[in-house]
Amino acid sequence: MKRLWRTRELSTVAILALEVIVFTWYLWPDRGRGHPFLNAGNGLLILKYSSIYGIAAIGAAIVIISGGIDLAPGAVIAVTSVITGYCFVERGWPLPASVGAGLLTGALAGAVSSLLIVRVGLPPFIATLGVMGIARGVAFIITEARYYDLSRSIPPGSHMLGVPIDWIAPVTMVAAGLVFQVLMKRFQWGRAVFAIGGNETAAVYTGIAVGRIKTSVYVVAGLLASVSGIVLAVAQGQGKADLATGYELDIIASAVVGGASLAGGRGSVIGAVLGALVFGVLRNALPQIPGATFYDRLIVGLVVIVIVVLDQVLVRHER
Amino acid sequence: MKRLALCIVIGLVAIAGCARESSGPRRLRFAVIPKALDIPVFNYAKVGAERAAAELGNVDIIWRGPERADELRQKEIVESFITQRVDGIAISVLNADFLTSTIDRAVDAGIPVVTWDSDAPSSKRLAFYGVDDFRSGQIMGEEADRLLGGKGTIAIITSLGAANLRRRLEGVQSALAKSPGLKIVETYDIKEDPVRCAEIIATGTNRYPDLGAWISVGGWPVFTRNALAAVDPARTKVISFDTIPPAPEILKSGKAQVLLGQKYFGWGSEPVKLLNDIVAGRRPPNRIIDSGVDIVTPQNVDQYLEQWARLERGK
Repeated sequence: MKRLWRTRELSTVAILALEVIVFTWYLWPDRGRGHPFLNAGNGLLILKYSSIYGIAAIGAAIVIISGGIDLAPGAVIAVTSVITGYCFVERGWPLPASVGAGLLTGALAGAVSSLLIVRVGLPPFIATLGVMGIARGVAFIITEARYYDLSRSIPPGSHMLGVPIDWIAPVTMVAAGLVFQVLMKRFQWGRAVFAIGGNETAAVYTGIAVGRIKTSVYVVAGLLASVSGIVLAVAQGQGKADLATGYELDIIASAVVGGASLAGGRGSVIGAVLGALVFGVLRNALPQIPGATFYDRLIVGLVVIVIVVLDQVLVRHER
Repeated sequence: MKRLALCIVIGLVAIAGCARESSGPRRLRFAVIPKALDIPVFNYAKVGAERAAAELGNVDIIWRGPERADELRQKEIVESFITQRVDGIAISVLNADFLTSTIDRAVDAGIPVVTWDSDAPSSKRLAFYGVDDFRSGQIMGEEADRLLGGKGTIAIITSLGAANLRRRLEGVQSALAKSPGLKIVETYDIKEDPVRCAEIIATGTNRYPDLGAWISVGGWPVFTRNALAAVDPARTKVISFDTIPPAPEILKSGKAQVLLGQKYFGWGSEPVKLLNDIVAGRRPPNRIIDSGVDIVTPQNVDQYLEQWARLERGK
C-alpha cells in the first residue's frame, strides 16, 4: 500500500517532468537568445501563480480524502481578499490584524460548511455550494463592485518579514504542503481522515469521532483557501469580489490529478501541490506558443482526462 | 369573518395605492443595467445615473446587472424589467446578437430602451451613448506606432466574448496593418480574469523580452499596480484602455504611456437623461451619440486628474 502511494506521487512528478521536457524542447530558442521557459525567473512565475491554486488544493485534497467535496474555495479566496483589503485599506488596520480577519473568514466559511454537513446532514456538494454563494455574495455586498487597492501600501517588489512578496506564495505553499503531509501521514488526525473517507461506518465502529474530524477537515480547507486569498491579494494588489471566479474546479482538479479519489479514502497532499504545478506549467507555457492562447481551455481539459485515465490504469495495474 | 377581513385589507391597500397615485406627478422608474456588477468602471456609471436622477427629480434608478459577465443572466434581467413595466431601460449589452430580440420586445411593449458603453446596433433601441470602439482601437494602434517609431513587436491583451472588445481589437489590428514595421507577436485571451492578466503579462514579457509594446483593449493591466510589475518601461511601452484609479498614477510612475478613458460617469447620467427626454416625447436627433475618448498621456495626466477629481465631487 505504501508503495502505491509513493508511485502515485511519483506518477504526478513524472507528468510534471514530461511537461517540462516537452515545453523546453518546443520552446527552444534561436541561437544567442535565452530560453523563454527554462529560466529561474519563469520558474518563480510558475510557482507564484500555482501557489494560489496549490495552497487551496491542499485543503481540497484533505476534504476529498475524507469522502467529501468542497465547492467553496474560489469564493472563499475572493471574500478573504475582500475582507483583508477592507480591514487594511478602508479601516486602516495593521496588516497582521487584516490578515487575521481574512483567516478568520476562511475558518468561519469552513465551520458553516461543516455545520451544515455534520449537524444538518446536508450532502457536502449542496452545503459547500450554498457556502460558495454566500461567500461570493458577502464579497459583492462589501465591495459594491469597487475593489480595495492593496498595491498602494504593498507595491510590487516590496518585502514582508524579509521575504520578497513574489516568494511569499511559493514559500507558503511548500510549508503548508509539508506540514499537512506530515499531519496526514504521521498523526492520528490524518489517519482518521483516511479512515472516514475509506469507510465511514467502519470508522464510527473503530471509535473515531467522525463529526469532530469532519468539522476540522472543512475548517482546515476554509483556512487554507483563505491563505490562498491572502497571498492572491498581496500578489495581485487587490481585494476584489470577482477574483478566483471558477477556481474551485481548478483546485479540485489539482487535487484529483495529484491522486485524490473522489470516492474518498485515497489521495495525497503533496500530490495536490504537484497537481497545481502541472496546471501552472500549462498555464505558463501554452501562452508562449504563438496562437495557443485560444486553445488552452481545450488542452487543459484533455490533460485532466488523460492524467486521470492513466491514474485509473495504474491503480488497476497495482491491484 | 376571515373573508370579510381579507376584503377590508384589499380595500385598504387599493385606497392606499390610489392615494399614492394621486399624491403628485408620477415618478419614472428607469432600469440601468451594466454588463456585470464585478467590473469596477461601472461603479462610476451607477453614480452618474443616480446623480442624473436626483437632478431630474422625478426619476428613480433601479441598478441591476449580472454578478459576472453572463449574457443569459443579463437577458433574464431585461425580461424581468419588461414584466415589471419599468418606464425605460438603459443597458450596456453583453452580447448584441443574443439580446437584440429581447430589446425589441421591450420596445414593442412600449418601454424605451437606450444602450450605453456596448451597443446592440441591429435592435430597435432608440439611442446609443458610448465610444466608437473601432476608432478607439485604431487610436491605440496609432499611439503604438507613434511610441515605437513605426518599428517593433506588439502583444495584444483582450478577452473573448464581448462585442465592444472585439471591435476595439479589430481597430487595433487595422491601424497596425498600416505600419509594415510593426508586428503583432501574439493576441492573448485573459478570460476576464485580472489575475490571469498579470500572469500573462509576466509570461509574455519573459517570452518576448524585446517586446515593443503591450496594447490592452480592456483596463485589466492598469486596475492594479502589480499587473505591470514585470514590464521594463525603457524597453516596452504600455497602451491600455481605461483611466479609473489607480491607472493615472501607474501612468505617472512611467509603467504605462497612453491610456484611453471613457465617460464613466456619463455612461450613467446621459442614458438616464435620454430616457427622460424620450418619455417626454423628445427623441434624440441622432441615434448614435459618440461620447469620445480621453487620450491620457504623461503630458496631460495632471490635467486629467484634476478633471477626474471634479467629476468625483459631482461637478
